[in-house]
Amino acid sequence: MQFIVQIATLGSIYLLFSLGLNLVWGSLGILNFAHGVTFVFAVYLTHLTLGVARLPFLVVLLLGAACGAVLTVLLQVLVFEPILRRSPSIHQAEMRILIGGLGFSTIPLAFMEHQTKNLPFGLDQGSFVVSPVVLGSFRATNIALYGIGLAVLLGLAIAVWLARSRGGLALRSLGVDAPVAGLMGIDRRRSALLAMALAGGLAGLAGVVYTYTLTALTPDSGDLLLVKAFAIVILGGVGSIAGAAVGSLVLAAAEVSVLTFTSGSWVDAVSFSLIFLMLVLRPVGLFGRKEVRRT
Amino acid sequence: MKIVRTTGGPGRPWRAVAAGSLALLTLAACGSGGGGTSADGGLPQTIRIVSVNPETGPTSFAGLGAEEGYKVATKEINDTRFFGDSTLSVTYEDDKGEPVTAANKLSAAVSDRSVPAVFGSIATPSALAMSPIAQKAGLPIIYTQAGSDGVVVGDYTWRATPLMISFYPIMKKFVAEQGWKSLGIIYTTSSPTLIKIGSTVLPDLAKELGISVVGSVGTTPTTQDFSAPIAQILGAKPDGVAVIQTGASNVTAMTQLRQAGYTGPVLGNSGAGAGNLTPAGANGAGMVWPTDFSSLVSSPGSEKFSGLYRQMFGKEPTNYAAEAYDAAWFVARAIKAAGSTDRAKVKDAMVAAGKEPMSGALGDQLRWVDGTLQAPGVVVEWTGTAEKLLYNGKDV
Repeated sequence: MQFIVQIATLGSIYLLFSLGLNLVWGSLGILNFAHGVTFVFAVYLTHLTLGVARLPFLVVLLLGAACGAVLTVLLQVLVFEPILRRSPSIHQAEMRILIGGLGFSTIPLAFMEHQTKNLPFGLDQGSFVVSPVVLGSFRATNIALYGIGLAVLLGLAIAVWLARSRGGLALRSLGVDAPVAGLMGIDRRRSALLAMALAGGLAGLAGVVYTYTLTALTPDSGDLLLVKAFAIVILGGVGSIAGAAVGSLVLAAAEVSVLTFTSGSWVDAVSFSLIFLMLVLRPVGLFGRKEVRRT
Repeated sequence: MKIVRTTGGPGRPWRAVAAGSLALLTLAACGSGGGGTSADGGLPQTIRIVSVNPETGPTSFAGLGAEEGYKVATKEINDTRFFGDSTLSVTYEDDKGEPVTAANKLSAAVSDRSVPAVFGSIATPSALAMSPIAQKAGLPIIYTQAGSDGVVVGDYTWRATPLMISFYPIMKKFVAEQGWKSLGIIYTTSSPTLIKIGSTVLPDLAKELGISVVGSVGTTPTTQDFSAPIAQILGAKPDGVAVIQTGASNVTAMTQLRQAGYTGPVLGNSGAGAGNLTPAGANGAGMVWPTDFSSLVSSPGSEKFSGLYRQMFGKEPTNYAAEAYDAAWFVARAIKAAGSTDRAKVKDAMVAAGKEPMSGALGDQLRWVDGTLQAPGVVVEWTGTAEKLLYNGKDV
């Protein structure tokens, strides 16, 4: 039981973080290398706010999500949109977006490094206290349970929104064929801003939950998670919410199993071998759709 | 190695070697050799030393800490007119913890004949790239931290930080006092030093005391959540636990260890110091580790440095600053003894000084062994808000 809780806890963080990355990658074709920094910077801004105001958990969550959303929208407006406008082809735009995201991420990263001197920072100034929840042999923390609940709720909500709502359908149509979607009257800019805000909000939310789970982050904490999120998206399939959920759980299960039943040092080798196998055996991922090439 | 958050994970050393080789080729092409501008003319008006340390990047907290120590020493040297009419000036260069950048910055210092010595990077990968360049070019360089093999490679390369492995055994007294019969160890595989402490030094220490190691988990640098290895270790029901991690990982591991129900003392390493454990709050209380410096130690050199540091920065000094302070004074004394900024003469003076005991922030009557400063160390405990001195290594 304890083992399952550990997988669910880690998997929920991975899912919250990778959902947004997957959403914009699958729908807008944007592989956002600034997603990791967004995650940490949202926490850092929340940390600064808590220094002047002692806020309850729900407000801290919303604040983290808002910071992430604003930062990602700024990234879209200031970096990605100009790149898309000025690139002669989609392929070139994708490459430039990768570099643009990397470049943008260095600014908040440098700011945080300067301010914190790379010492860890947390959200302990808020009124929320992480406490153990013990039921017989079952042991978890309140933040782990909140994280699992949030991941399940938000994962389902986004899946339903993409499948049923007009905004979700518009976003999915962009992922299938953006020019045709535009001809059908879909406002690409509006949908892109919405997707980016959602992705940033999820990153901020994940950041807050992760920080309470770990107690503290450092400015480079997002980079480690970004690599894992790429692996999750590849494993589950680009653009698939169910894939992100399964990918998160598979990666978390692999990591927790190695760290629980072995001497630990093989954790990355085992986890990333799964991704390698997936790329070899099923390149589109568990739930990815086959690419249609027109001639 | 004592870097608490390493920039060099597995695979990085070859980059350092490559960066060093590239810079060496460049230097060879340009010509190199010892010598300074004041070879026979005494000391210049301004003695300029270059510091190449990470001011940004993951290890910047240690690099900036070292720079604070250099600043304290420089001010003291100039305020006391240690060099008479000459003044000491330090140029601070940021290597970002990157070997290639460190090698480039050092190459620039090599080509500037007015620079008699360099304060080398605290980051091991950078130091590994810098040492062959400095040794070949005949430029004295002194490091703090950078605890790997291959950093001190000759008479021009020095390290003013005792290796953690050399003073970790002073923990034996504390462990013996706990009366433990079993021990669980969680250690990071992010640096050779911490691997050695987790996989060899601690098990050997336990064996000497008749303690059985009932669990040992090595976590990779990518591990951020420690609940699984903690569950494995606590599943073996050890009397005591050791957490050998870097920087923020100490915070997480301590918090999750307390959340999992372990309430006893925890053996750590100096990577938990310098404010890293602060965010853990009360959960961090009870972590005990050996370090080469504590501002709580009552020795003349430590007290003097701590006083100057507080006066300059208004806070408690770190081990990074203390080590750098001693490094700066070692170089300053060598330059004064050489009576010149000629690099070969400064090196000769460093070699001569290295044969004598040295007193400074890290303690009194410290010795140099193979170019590395030795110190007895002290054992400190984190109370939840501050470090508490438990005992001095020289008393063990």
